[in-house]
Amino acid sequence: MEITLTHYLVLATLLFLTGMLGFIVRRNAIVMLMCIELMLCAANIVLAAFSRWHLDLGGHVFVLMSFAVAAAEAAIGLAILVEIYRRRRTVNVDELTTLME
Amino acid sequence: MEVILFYFCGALMVIAGAMMVLSRNAVVAACWLIFAFINAAGIYATLSAPFLAVLQVLVYAGAIMVLFLFVVMMLQGPVLAGERRRLRPWLWPFLLLPPLAILLTVAGFLRRADNTSFPVAAPAGFGSAEQVAGLLLSRYLLAFELISIVLIVAIIGSLALGKVDRRQPWK
Repeated sequence: MEITLTHYLVLATLLFLTGMLGFIVRRNAIVMLMCIELMLCAANIVLAAFSRWHLDLGGHVFVLMSFAVAAAEAAIGLAILVEIYRRRRTVNVDELTTLME
Repeated sequence: MEVILFYFCGALMVIAGAMMVLSRNAVVAACWLIFAFINAAGIYATLSAPFLAVLQVLVYAGAIMVLFLFVVMMLQGPVLAGERRRLRPWLWPFLLLPPLAILLTVAGFLRRADNTSFPVAAPAGFGSAEQVAGLLLSRYLLAFELISIVLIVAIIGSLALGKVDRRQPWK
């Protein structure tokens, strides 16, 4: 029994699909952001797996970049959500259909 | 050993992801996501990426998820109210289309790849902080500097967004 690249790709695919379906089904904007984080994590696993496959550390460097982008995205996204909540008293995307108040 | 760790962490991670999507309560969802990220650190460990495993716990499970939990608890009332309106029933079949497309793409790639087994053993120190940092500060120096600009812009942007305008009353 041996763990191959296929195992990691299948795992990352499952995680990505979970995140994607969650993003489509859920209506709570904060949980939708969490689903984006899960999808980013799946992409990171693929990067690390291919990095191991090629024995090239470039993939690890790009996972680090992805960490930084995920942190920036979470900070900005949550700041926008807090501001939306201040104005509209909801974070349900079904009710946030207009840009103006 | 690696095989056991991979299946253990992988299964727990998929379950935790599914539970995050299925849980009505946003705080519970955030806790499941933290659990999934800790298991992702285990997956990185099987990929001989110890530095990434440590950073996954520190940055994702630590910093980012604390930020999420903080905001969820700040907006508690409406966030916990749940989502009464579900997706319309006739839309459910269309939900299967994008997963099908992605599964077909991955299956097509795996069919064409003739040898997917990893090289027998990673060289000593592969994925250690020393080697990753060496690459980060030499070949990828420009990307490293640019990512710091991204972070600074994010800090300034979230500060500007989060600032309360004192002239307008809190509605």
